[in-house]
Amino acid sequence: MRDVYHDELDDIGKGVIEMTNLVAIAMDRATSALLDANLAQAEAVMAADKRIDTLRTDLEERTFQVISRQQPVATDLRVLISTIHLTADLERMGDLADHVAKIARLRFPESAVPEEARDVISQMGEVARSLVTKVADVVDGRDIALAQAIEAEDDSMDALRRKLFTLVLSPNWSRGTEAAIDMTLLGRYYERYADHAVAVARHTIFIVTGRRPEH
Amino acid sequence: MAKRIDVSDVNIYYGKFLAVSDVNLTIQPRSVTAFIGPSGCGKSTVLRTLNRMHEVIAGARVEGTVALDGEDIYGAGVDPVDVRRTIGMVFQRPNPFPTMSIYDNVVAGLKLGSKKISKSELDGVVESSLRSANLWDEVRNRLSKPGSGLSGGQQQRLCIARAIAVKPQVLLMDEPCSALDPISTLAIEDLIQELKTKYTIVIVTHNMQQAARVSERTAFFNLAGIGKPGQMVEIDDTDKIFSNPADKRTEDYISGRFG
Ligand SMILES: Nc1ncnc2c1ncn2[C@@H]1O[C@H](COP(=O)(O)OP(=O)(O)O)[C@@H](O)[C@H]1O
Ligand SMILES: [Mg+2]
Repeated sequence: MRDVYHDELDDIGKGVIEMTNLVAIAMDRATSALLDANLAQAEAVMAADKRIDTLRTDLEERTFQVISRQQPVATDLRVLISTIHLTADLERMGDLADHVAKIARLRFPESAVPEEARDVISQMGEVARSLVTKVADVVDGRDIALAQAIEAEDDSMDALRRKLFTLVLSPNWSRGTEAAIDMTLLGRYYERYADHAVAVARHTIFIVTGRRPEH
Repeated sequence: MAKRIDVSDVNIYYGKFLAVSDVNLTIQPRSVTAFIGPSGCGKSTVLRTLNRMHEVIAGARVEGTVALDGEDIYGAGVDPVDVRRTIGMVFQRPNPFPTMSIYDNVVAGLKLGSKKISKSELDGVVESSLRSANLWDEVRNRLSKPGSGLSGGQQQRLCIARAIAVKPQVLLMDEPCSALDPISTLAIEDLIQELKTKYTIVIVTHNMQQAARVSERTAFFNLAGIGKPGQMVEIDDTDKIFSNPADKRTEDYISGRFG
C-alpha cells in the first residue's frame, strides 16, 4: 500500500546519505588541499559544494511536498521533520569545507599552514573524517550506539582547537598576524564542522527513539 | 454529568463466534476517545457493547464487565433501556425518522419515557438540544417540517440533537461522518469539540486524520489473523499514537504499511 509514498521516503533517505558522503569527501579534500597546497583539490571542493547546495534545496522541497500531500505520521513524520534539520546541518558542513578550501587557495602556492601547526591541523582533519564517517553510518543504519560515540569525538575536536589557540597566542609564534588569523579561522571551521556532525547524529537519535537527546 | 467507563476482560460473541477478545480499556470523562483499526476488527462491536446494544442481536453475548463510574452495566437488575438512555449512540448514516417533523425527531426519545412532559418543557429541550448540536439557527423557522428535508450534515446534527435530548452521560458515535461531505464533516468535528466539555465521547472512525484531529485518546484495534478474534492492540494519548506509538503494529497501520 502507498507504494509511491514509501518509494519517495526511501529516495529522500538516499539523498541524505548522498549529502553525507559528499560533505565527508569535501572536508577530506579540503584538508589535503590545505596541507599539500593543492590548488586543484581546493577548487574541486568549491565546485562540489554546488551539488551539496542543490541537493539540500531539492530534498527540502520534496520533504515539504510529502508532508503536505501524504500526512505522514510516527517514524515517517520524524524522518521528514528531521530531514529538514539534517540537510541544513549537512549543507553548513559543506560550506565549512568550502571555507577551508578557500584559505588553501588564497595562500597558494604557499601552504596556508605553517610547520608548527601542521600536526594539529592534520589531526583536526583526521577527527573530522572519523566523525563524518561515523555520521554516515549512523544516517545509513540509524545506529544509536554509534551516535553516542560521535559526541565523545567532538570533545577531542574542541581540545585540538584549544591547542591551536595556545600555539598562535604563544610568545614564540613567529608567523605574523595573517597566519594567526588563518589558524584561528581554520580552528573555528573544523570545530563547527564537528558540531554540525553531532547535530546530525542527534537528529538521527530522534528519528529512531522519538526522543530528543539531552545536551 | 459525564462519566468514566472501565472495560475489563471483555469477550464479545456473535453466537459461537468470538468476534473480539480480551478488551481492557478505560475511557475518561469529558474527553474524546477514538477507536481506529482495519475494517472487521470489531470497533463497532466493542462500541455497541458499551451501551448494551450488542445483545439486541440474536445469539450475541458479552463476557466481562463494563463499568460506568464503577457500576457494572451488565450487573443483575440493570435495565438495558436505562443504560441506552445514559449512553446515547449516533450512527454512520444519519437516520432521522423520515416522516416526523424536526421537532418530533428531537423529542422522539423523550416521548418513549413514561413521564408526562409539558409542551413548554419540550420546547425548551428542543431548543437547547438543537443549539448544542449547532443546528438551531438553521432550523428554528422550520421545526414542523420533516427531518428528511435536511442535508446529510444537518440530518446527522439532528441525530446528535436527538441523542442529546434525553440527557445522556456518554455519546457513542460509529463513523458519524462517513456519509458526509468534507465541510459537514468538519462541522461535526467542531461540534464534537464542544460536546466533549459536557459528555464522554467515544468515536469509531476509519479516518485516521479525523482521530488525530478530534480525540485525546486513541485505541488501535486489529485482527490477530484471519478467522481470529479482533483485539485492542494499544490505547494511548493521541499525540503519542501519531508521533511515536509503542506498538509496531500500530505504527504499521497508521503509516499505511499494512497488509
Ligand atoms: N450482526 C452480526 N452477526 C454476526 N457477526 C457479526 C455481526 N456484526 C459484525 N460481525 C462480525 O464481527 C466482526 C467485527 O465486526 P465489526 O465490529 O463490524 O468491525 P468494524 O466495526 O471494526 O469494522 C467481524 O468479523 C464481523 O463480520
Ligand atoms: Mg464498524
